[in-house]
Amino acid sequence: MISRNSFWASSLENHKRKIGVWIIAVLAQLLVYVGGVTVYLSRIRYWNQDGRWTPEQFRQQMVQAAQDALGFQPFLWLVVTALAVLIGGQGFAYLNNRRKVDLYHSVPVSRKRRFLVIYLNGIMIYVGATLVGLLAGIAIAAAQRAVSGAVLAVVGIAFAWNLMFFLVVYHLMILAVMLTGHDLLALGMFAVLALYEPAFYSCISSFRYYFFERTSSYFVPFTTRFSAFEDYTDHVYQIKYLGTPQEMGETVLPYLGKWLALALLLLAAAYLCYQKRSSEAAGKAIAFRKLKPVLKLAVVLEVSMIVGGIVQDSVYDGNNMLILAAMFLSAVICCGVMEVLYEFDLKCMLCHWVSSGIAVLCVLAVFSVFQFDLTGYDSYVPEAEQVESIVFEPNADYQSYVEEDSQHIEYIGSDEYLMEHMYLTAVQEVLTLAAKDQQISYEDMEDPRNVQVVYRLKSGRNVERCFYVDFADPDNEELLNRIVGSAEYQEGRYQVMTDQTPYEQAQKITYTTGSAAGILPREDVGRLLEALVTDMAQTDYSLFRHHLPCGLLQFEFEDYMSAEYPIYDTYTHVLDYLSEYNVCYPLLPEAEDVASITVTNYHNEVYEDSLETGDEMYYSDGEAEMMLWANQTYESVMVQANFYEKEQIAEILKHIYPSGLPANWCNQDEFDSNYSVDMVFEQDSDYPYDRTNYYYFNYNIFSGQAPDFVIEATALE
Amino acid sequence: MIEIHNLTKSFDQKSKAVDRVSVTIKENTVFGLIGTNGAGKSTVLRMVSGVLKPDEGVVTVDNMPVYDNTEAKKRLFFIADEPYFFANTNARSMERYYSGIYENFNREEFYRYLESFHLDRNRKINTFSKGMKKQLALLLGICAHTKYILCDETFDGLDPVMRQGVKSIFAKEMEERGLTPVIASHNLRELEDICDHVGLLHKGGVLLSKDLEDMKCNIQKVQCVFSSVEDELKALSGLEILKKEQRGSLRTITVRSTREEAAARFAAVNTIFYEVLPLSLEEIFISETEVVGYDIKKLILG
Repeated sequence: MISRNSFWASSLENHKRKIGVWIIAVLAQLLVYVGGVTVYLSRIRYWNQDGRWTPEQFRQQMVQAAQDALGFQPFLWLVVTALAVLIGGQGFAYLNNRRKVDLYHSVPVSRKRRFLVIYLNGIMIYVGATLVGLLAGIAIAAAQRAVSGAVLAVVGIAFAWNLMFFLVVYHLMILAVMLTGHDLLALGMFAVLALYEPAFYSCISSFRYYFFERTSSYFVPFTTRFSAFEDYTDHVYQIKYLGTPQEMGETVLPYLGKWLALALLLLAAAYLCYQKRSSEAAGKAIAFRKLKPVLKLAVVLEVSMIVGGIVQDSVYDGNNMLILAAMFLSAVICCGVMEVLYEFDLKCMLCHWVSSGIAVLCVLAVFSVFQFDLTGYDSYVPEAEQVESIVFEPNADYQSYVEEDSQHIEYIGSDEYLMEHMYLTAVQEVLTLAAKDQQISYEDMEDPRNVQVVYRLKSGRNVERCFYVDFADPDNEELLNRIVGSAEYQEGRYQVMTDQTPYEQAQKITYTTGSAAGILPREDVGRLLEALVTDMAQTDYSLFRHHLPCGLLQFEFEDYMSAEYPIYDTYTHVLDYLSEYNVCYPLLPEAEDVASITVTNYHNEVYEDSLETGDEMYYSDGEAEMMLWANQTYESVMVQANFYEKEQIAEILKHIYPSGLPANWCNQDEFDSNYSVDMVFEQDSDYPYDRTNYYYFNYNIFSGQAPDFVIEATALE
Repeated sequence: MIEIHNLTKSFDQKSKAVDRVSVTIKENTVFGLIGTNGAGKSTVLRMVSGVLKPDEGVVTVDNMPVYDNTEAKKRLFFIADEPYFFANTNARSMERYYSGIYENFNREEFYRYLESFHLDRNRKINTFSKGMKKQLALLLGICAHTKYILCDETFDGLDPVMRQGVKSIFAKEMEERGLTPVIASHNLRELEDICDHVGLLHKGGVLLSKDLEDMKCNIQKVQCVFSSVEDELKALSGLEILKKEQRGSLRTITVRSTREEAAARFAAVNTIFYEVLPLSLEEIFISETEVVGYDIKKLILG
């Protein structure tokens, strides 16, 4: 028998007044799990109407569908969030009503007991409703033989994952209720608490990109530290597609730990506020007077930065005063709105002008920090002794990275891969290049190339920047050789140097010269990789800069994923290997193999002249140029000429290079951008051109090497 | 005994809702808390019931501080000016709630009173009139069997028959188990026939706090016509005169004195006529507050 004054009696009494919440929670979870499992299983049955699967395959599909429906549903976070907000908000809403406060705070029930009862009842409602939904869903799946031990294990892991996420959001909502004195404002406070960090990071990133020249586009950390929402949405897909419950459990565990810590922190804050909160806070906007100016400052700063960010997107002429005006105005309006909300009185818009003034000044200070680079962001180059190691990524050196999990091969982001694998100790060389960029504007460089770097400081901090390096500056060559030629660069940059496992799984290996293509045997891939690693170990910047690749090695994986490695004349081991399989083709065909060559002259000089003299040219930015380009009718100045004479073809062949081969390291003016060359091969040619390519191959002409007859034939009339 | 010592409470930075109030509420008396709207009555009661935490000062109930102290709160039942009942609930559900909280809640008595007051136990409370809700709140409070019942404007809106009924129950409970009702009202006339002790609040402070009987016994109104000015001076010398009015030769004098002393003074001098008259509670208040510079008529009599 339950004592009339026991905790359980209080809990039961409290539950009586939560019937509505119980009903909503149970219906929501039934919809999620019962609805989900019904739809998923019906879909599998529908797909199997034509008997495409064997009975065993069908059962596996059904089991997988049940696992998907009852396990990690990507959009479940919305339902969990809605329930947490509803349960947390409803549970403690009495604090916002003076009449209820008079009743609850005058009766002989301690504040601690009341908090505990309402708090635990909220969790009971979520857990109870979820279990009802899950058990009903499992029963439906079991009736269709779609349940296995693995499914139950995944359901259990997903339940723990969602429960911990619920706790974070639930505690956040309770904290929001404690900080406010009005139900609607509690929702607003919840939104502020939930979105502040992601919005803050987004604003800072956006401002960095806009105002600073040396903001790295690769390594800026967009991920938040405390947002469970981002954790959930960013990783639920990854977890869903992990192969085994064990892998899922191992992946989920760190998040459970992190969320538990976060949930406990939020609960402690909420309970502290509950204890400190006075009864007279009911009906007020904010429960704690001292919080008002702080909250106003925080919200005004974020809102003005968001508005500034939106205006940035529409500012094309670099008029930062427009951004300043927008931020100032939004700050002033936001201060007024906050005061109106605080007092529920329109006349209070100009109240507390001192704190409003401070908030507006802070907004102006934030703008100044970015506008005048008061933190020295752009001029930052660390001291050599501060740096442990460096990630160095020239944009000339494009690489893709793949990794293999238990089921799939998938791409890894370049930034993620380099952060994990590149630990360059040629610190002084990189810092010298960075320092040179501070002294010379990239407009004054002959061949400026963008480089992304991450300085791993000895203090444990990572600092990301980008800067320009003049590839044409002979003084830089030795520095770049020491960087690009180092084993640390090669092992960090080229996946094949350290991790050959995914390449051994390649479905197709091709060597191509841009026109000729030969397939290499998959079973001998080990020798090829060994040869490639041996040759690549000998490379440096000078090789890449002063030589063009003679071919390209392509590894193709499932789902059209691929990775490529340019092959140079110096790659003797690879070339020997290719010769063994008779795929070491010459870069260009003989004139006899070519039926015709079509040269297109784009006459860029017309476009460039228009830019300088055109009446419509009143903007100097890219978009206006594109508009002007469109107005000039691109086709009208383009001249094409076809060449069929073998002599002319032979002459042209001396001056062209396949556009399909990477030549990013070489001088940007290596090829004449005016010309484009298309080649049609003789159908009976022995040259092993790729016959799946519809007999169409594209080449570039080296700068200044276009033959006179080509210039003449493609000249403007 | 409820002891309120130097109680201060502010809801904003500009003014104090209650300013250094000190009152003692003795057991087994009916304590009336009088004051205009905004005088601080509700705030005092909310602090006494433990709803609000005082900024300064202390409230003790039987020597126990009351704020967040369940032992002290077990001895109190607070009926707010607008009592709250759960949504879509009836009297029976409210009884179940309170009987789960107050150990001595008398259910049989509650249902007996409900019948006496013609309140349907199964009818939804949100269909009750304002007066019926106050009756229900009072009955819940009485049946909770707490030592103290704090009523904030609870008698406002009750019809005379119901008021008489509640007064009878109070009298019975006071006699049987020493109930101490504390009744706040803005209307002095409502408390005149029920209170033993009255505290007058104005602008957050206590103007006076006295036993009604003491006040009645110690203030006298005398109407008289003196034979000469010398007789008048002789009669009034040494008496504390609270108020003096003159209409022709008829003087109406309010003095602080016992009835016997006043009668003896006036009998000792040569008067054409004198009579010691009884004072209404209203007149006592007028006299007492005028002494300290307030016009009570404006404050609580309207």
